[in-house]
Amino acid sequence: MSVNGAFSLSLDVEISLSVRTMRIQLDTSHSSIAIVGPSGAGKSTILRVLAGVERRARGTVRFAGQTWQDTASGTWVQPWLRGVGWVPQEVLLFPHLGVRENLGYAGAGELEIREIAALLQITPLLDRRPRRLSGGERQRVALGRALLAKPKILLLDEPFSALDRSLRAELSEVVRAWTEVRGVPLVLVSHDAEDARVLAEERFTMTDGELKPQ
Amino acid sequence: MKKIAEGRASSDLAGGCGLSVPWPAVPTTDRHPRRRPKSRLLHALLAAGFALAGLPPIVMASAAEEQTTDSTLLVLAAASLTDVLPRVADAWVRSGRTAPTFSFDATSRLANQALANPSADVFVAADLDWMQWLEMHGRVVRGAPALVASNELVVVVPLKGPVPQSPPDLRAAGRLALAGEHVPAARYARAALEAAGVWAALEPQVVRAGSVRGVLEWVARGSVPAGVVYRTDALASSSVRVAFVLDPATHPPIGYWAAPLATSERGNMAEAFTAFLASPEAQAAFAEAGFGPPRPQADTGIRPSPVQPPSIWSAVRLSLLVALLATVLGFVPAVGLGWLLARREFPGKAVLSTVVMAPLVMPPVVTGFLLLSAFGANTAFGGALAAMGLSVSFTLVGAALAAFVVGMPLYVISIRGAFEAVDAYYEELSWTLGSPPRRTFFRVSLPLALPGIAAGAVLAFARALGEFGATIVLAGNIEGSTRTIALAVYTLLESPAGQETVWTLVAASVAISMLALLGFEYFSRQQKRRLEDRHVR
Repeated sequence: MSVNGAFSLSLDVEISLSVRTMRIQLDTSHSSIAIVGPSGAGKSTILRVLAGVERRARGTVRFAGQTWQDTASGTWVQPWLRGVGWVPQEVLLFPHLGVRENLGYAGAGELEIREIAALLQITPLLDRRPRRLSGGERQRVALGRALLAKPKILLLDEPFSALDRSLRAELSEVVRAWTEVRGVPLVLVSHDAEDARVLAEERFTMTDGELKPQ
Repeated sequence: MKKIAEGRASSDLAGGCGLSVPWPAVPTTDRHPRRRPKSRLLHALLAAGFALAGLPPIVMASAAEEQTTDSTLLVLAAASLTDVLPRVADAWVRSGRTAPTFSFDATSRLANQALANPSADVFVAADLDWMQWLEMHGRVVRGAPALVASNELVVVVPLKGPVPQSPPDLRAAGRLALAGEHVPAARYARAALEAAGVWAALEPQVVRAGSVRGVLEWVARGSVPAGVVYRTDALASSSVRVAFVLDPATHPPIGYWAAPLATSERGNMAEAFTAFLASPEAQAAFAEAGFGPPRPQADTGIRPSPVQPPSIWSAVRLSLLVALLATVLGFVPAVGLGWLLARREFPGKAVLSTVVMAPLVMPPVVTGFLLLSAFGANTAFGGALAAMGLSVSFTLVGAALAAFVVGMPLYVISIRGAFEAVDAYYEELSWTLGSPPRRTFFRVSLPLALPGIAAGAVLAFARALGEFGATIVLAGNIEGSTRTIALAVYTLLESPAGQETVWTLVAASVAISMLALLGFEYFSRQQKRRLEDRHVR
């Protein structure tokens, strides 16, 4: 299922948190991976490290032949230069912007916005304020915003948790098709084995800060 | 004697703006006989405390008894007597009496206090007019005012700089510092300068301090090139020199009048103290301090022309202008500091925060004094500003600067709170969506914090409107350029005719403040709404 032979992701970082020090090692050449495990295990932290917003991480992060972080040599690629499409678990739409402005935040044009909105079934919501959306609607807008940023890698953190079964399956399929057509690798964090099975080639389990292949 | 020195220092700091100087170091109000119910409660509490601590209650009871048989006189005395009366009191104590408590201020304000608040025992005025005014209101024992000392008016100049020789020379000297319009020293000075025919030309150069002590402070610091004070004030300061004496024939005789107040509950002792002021021991102290003998002088018949009351419209307009200037000038620094304190960790952050917040808790007169020390015309920085046409002393610029500094803590604290309320996640998300921090600030952080920033601006505006202490020390009380609502009210309070006008200004002040606080409330709610319901779960 790999569409991009050049894809590779490797991660070897140590994160000192107040309660413990977490060591995360990951090395894969699959274009889609899923990380499952109980909440509080540190799954979201991996995505934060990849997105470049976790400043406590020390070590190396490499993606597709590019070094994003190497603490030893002082290499650090800023988050705005990494080209990640990050959908955090806490779905944060910019509350002062409408749905359309949220979708176009990274600079997408009206045509692209309409295309994605149709794909994610949120076209009727384009002129609404985030405050007036349901949880599932917000998740789809946040997903659309990440897709419209034309990412080089997609980082999804429990992206469908607020959706009902059928919509969930539909959207999983949409995301799978979208990443395959564009050759964009995907890292999915989920506690849902079904999502992980549909979307990912390789699956890892995370418990107590330790990552193991399934 | 150490306590007196401390008292004086604080009086000088205040520029004579109405701080009462307890002597000995006992707060004036605690001597107020009408406070007895409160002090009984205090004693009861103390007794309970002692009982709990296992001490015999009898000790406490005797202490309480001693407190309530209060024989301490409260003497309201003209500010120019600040140094001499404690010495007179020493002699009074040597004759076996209890030391009195003094409240020193401008005669005009003391007279108004004596009228409104009948707790004092003796009034010592720096002129007869205010004494007669109080007598007319029935507050002074009829026929009792006695002349206890006399004084002269002198023009003082800083140790360095030109020395004018006569009233006409004052025009070339530049600014001339006088006490407030209704303060006796300033009324005498005005009469003398009118008689010399130079008042009309000098008036635009006049800057007003709260009392002669304030004038002395400004001249000593070189903030003004000349000022009119009593000869005794000039003698007490080593930082000024006397340029010339104002001809006593050109102003009303300067006499200090003392009288027991009709409302005193210690009438006999008040009379005794008043009489003591004419005794040889007291007179020796007066003479040593440079006061003249209480010899009735021939009335020159000269009176200063009536003083124009402060203009209400000018005060309101000026207040709004000063507060607006402070708010607009403060916008960028307040947003910058608020963001820095909310979002960044750096060495010295606690120090920066403390410095910015200091004016919130420091007495405003102290802030004013520090600003005067930093921006006064005699400092390098102040001189450079003045060369650019931005002189802060006695100008609108100075009033705006005082309002800016005093308003800044509330400005920054509100904005910091607004930025802290904006989840850092929004900024991180914006980065990953391709917007570097600067763009993120303008696209996300600033708009999300905007209502909170507006709330801070409104609060700073309201605080700037109420600014008084720092303004009068730094910028003086000058009609049309620094006399804001607060200073106009202060001026009117010492004028016998000002009471009705005061109410108009008080109403204006309350209305503007309430409106500003409503605005703050509105924007605070908007801020909450703007960020509300941001998580899906």
